[in-house]
Amino acid sequence: MTTVEKLKKILVEDLNLQELSPGDIDENAPLFGEGLGLDSLDAVELIVIIQKRFGIEIQNLDEGKAAFQSVHTLASYIEGRLSGG
Amino acid sequence: MSVAPIAITGMGCICAAGGNLSDSMNALLRGERRPAPPVRFASNHPVRYPVFEAVDFEEPPDLLRTSAFALHAAREAFADAGLDRKTLGTLRVGVCVGTTVGTVMSEETFCRGYLAGDEPDMAPFRRILHSNPADVIAREFDLSGPRQTVVTACSSGTDAVGIAGSWIRAGLCDAAIAGGADELGRITYIGFISLMITDDSPCKPFDRHRKGLNLGEGAAMLVLVSERVLRRVGIRARSFLLGYGSASDAYHLTAPRPDGAGLRSAISEALATSGVSSASVAFVNAHGTGTPDNDRVESRVLHDMLPGIPFLSTKGYTGHTLGAAGAIEAVFTAACLEIGKIPANAGFETPDPGIGITPVTEVTPFAGSVALSESLAFGGNNSVVVLGKA
Amino acid sequence: MSGTARIVLEGIGVVGGFGCGIADLSRALAEGNDRPGTLSLSTGSGPIEFPAFRADTSRLKEFVPARTLRRIDHFSKLALLGSHLALADAGLAETEHERLGLIIASGYGATGITYAFLKSFINDGDICASPTYFANSVHNSAAAHISIVLGARGPSLTVSQFDLSVPSALTSVRQWLLEGRVDRVLFGAVEELSELIGYAWYRQRGAPRMPMTPLWTGKETAIPAEGAAFFLFSRTEEARAGYCTLETAVTGSPANAGFPLPGDGLLLLGADGRRETGRRYAVLAENARIACYTPLYGSMPAGPAFDLASAALIIKEGRIFPSPGDASLDFPATIPAGGEPAGADRISCLTLAGDKAYGLTTLGKLPGTTGECARED
Repeated sequence: MTTVEKLKKILVEDLNLQELSPGDIDENAPLFGEGLGLDSLDAVELIVIIQKRFGIEIQNLDEGKAAFQSVHTLASYIEGRLSGG
Repeated sequence: MSVAPIAITGMGCICAAGGNLSDSMNALLRGERRPAPPVRFASNHPVRYPVFEAVDFEEPPDLLRTSAFALHAAREAFADAGLDRKTLGTLRVGVCVGTTVGTVMSEETFCRGYLAGDEPDMAPFRRILHSNPADVIAREFDLSGPRQTVVTACSSGTDAVGIAGSWIRAGLCDAAIAGGADELGRITYIGFISLMITDDSPCKPFDRHRKGLNLGEGAAMLVLVSERVLRRVGIRARSFLLGYGSASDAYHLTAPRPDGAGLRSAISEALATSGVSSASVAFVNAHGTGTPDNDRVESRVLHDMLPGIPFLSTKGYTGHTLGAAGAIEAVFTAACLEIGKIPANAGFETPDPGIGITPVTEVTPFAGSVALSESLAFGGNNSVVVLGKA
Repeated sequence: MSGTARIVLEGIGVVGGFGCGIADLSRALAEGNDRPGTLSLSTGSGPIEFPAFRADTSRLKEFVPARTLRRIDHFSKLALLGSHLALADAGLAETEHERLGLIIASGYGATGITYAFLKSFINDGDICASPTYFANSVHNSAAAHISIVLGARGPSLTVSQFDLSVPSALTSVRQWLLEGRVDRVLFGAVEELSELIGYAWYRQRGAPRMPMTPLWTGKETAIPAEGAAFFLFSRTEEARAGYCTLETAVTGSPANAGFPLPGDGLLLLGADGRRETGRRYAVLAENARIACYTPLYGSMPAGPAFDLASAALIIKEGRIFPSPGDASLDFPATIPAGGEPAGADRISCLTLAGDKAYGLTTLGKLPGTTGECARED
């Protein structure tokens, strides 16, 4: 499973996106506001989810901001951190 | 729609700034604050966030620390009001206490034990059931009036004071002890860190570089009495509760409504019930937690509704004491009305262009006789009390 | 205590072990159906199962989109369902939430999500604590979700006074309406029988057994419960139709001095099979005309709100429901059989708490209504 696929599944399960299936998520759509419709509480939850699922610590929301644009940017960020970047 | 003022005849307070109201006020006026990583509990979180603990306070083993704080402040308030047990016994006295953790049915050791498949000791559970803050005070002083523990998150203390005033006006009781209490423990500490709204350095309300709040703990209590009792018992009013207002954001579980509509409604109702014009407000004791969102929304509303009026947050001295905050800030507000000056807003250095207004940066004298104390809470609660000089 | 101002109960929304909606409660009261479900738990000595009144929130999807519910826990779902049922019962349109106050009573709060929050950091370390669980664990989370879903921007209050939560909160319902702070108050009590509360129950009281017989005063027969009971109250001039009036709501102590029991009305007892309060109910209710319906919805701090709903139904229908179970033993009071006329204009609901405290809420006949409810004497 690619990081993008893994992330979509995690988003649906851990954020309980009831009516969506992982396949419905456009990896380039914005996570927040329009697009997936996540909010500030999801943002901090996502930081915990990434810590728990990938062992990656994001120190603050500013650090996460660039990565949290879309599933695609988040996947790239995670892959970068996992490969020691 | 203005209502009758209710006399405040006694006040008590315990927080990191001091074990009673006068010590706390002196610390505020001296500009002293001592935030430090928690000493009463540990966390395996990699960052150690400063908090404002009442480190010298020890609770008895059978009571929640929260309720022990409440009792401590109630004793001071009744003594300050000159109401002994004998006199209290001749009155119908209500109890209204705000808290966030004082009624929560969870205790970490118990939960860990259960999760591990043990049969954990039930003592912590029984302690919670025995420690409802309003019950504890009613029991200790044998009070016969209405009792209510208010759990509107961080506006609980302000709401409790407003509600007790309404009871007295309606004749539901002759007097009331009202306030708020909350202890700091691992659950709240970890929870606020998880929301990423805690500052890893001493909090900086309304400052450009503010990063969040520091948690605190404590309690404050006010004795409110009816006009009739004031005359009959022959005690003096220290100050007056003039009005109260509250309203919901109906917006988000943790974020304030960006336009501050709920806070605006609460301020309007508080001013209307007190019959006070915004221009006659001497100062505002703001909620001012030091989180980017709270301070932005709150200052926008202050700028629009109470322009040019000096304001400060006292959370730089006490931390955010959650359910106690509204009560602690109400007694600070009343105490400031008595002495005619307000302390500096601790932690503020750099004005925030996104805010546009700045809190007082030094001990500031004022001339008026009316002040506001505000609380904003999770769940979108906004509450305001208006206090007046005796 | 008031002059001409009257507070009218316009709508009721209930969900509990008996079903969902006021019609289900009415049916349970008429039929005396006291059949709880079960609660399964793991304990230190293995899994156990015992009777418990569980509430099903599946009907919530009729009122609220699934997406809105995605991070709303069972506690708040119960409250959301109760509130929508009450508004629907009152026939209140979705846009009529101006000047609507919201008051919630809960003894234990959102214990399920609180335990989930603790588990999140106990299992994975403090850095993995779930902020969503934490945000939902505050006692006023149900009130927050209701105000957000309804767009209700009036004042909001949540009260947690354990067994006295309901009568204590009702004091504020009356005050808000009499003061004219709001035109209507949506009031509700909610309790969640989470795993943690179920386990604590088991440890403190042992596994409950059927049947629940609250009028056998020396015995522990309580069965734990969950549910939500919501009410839409308004001032008389605003009310269209309704069940009854809210006459008084007081809390205080001690219960044995200057206790304002109604002289001629029916006294509805909140006795719920817990030994510690059973005898005090018997003493206080001596020689009164009483009813007790707790075996239909079980024992929980929100229980007095179900007493209130039952009392409102009696006033509306003009006749008393049978008190379930074998209540004819040595209880020192008159217990009317089912179908008897209500016999007075008022019904009081009595709630006793663990210490000396009490709560007493009195409902009255709507002004201008006639007939069945007339005094017998």
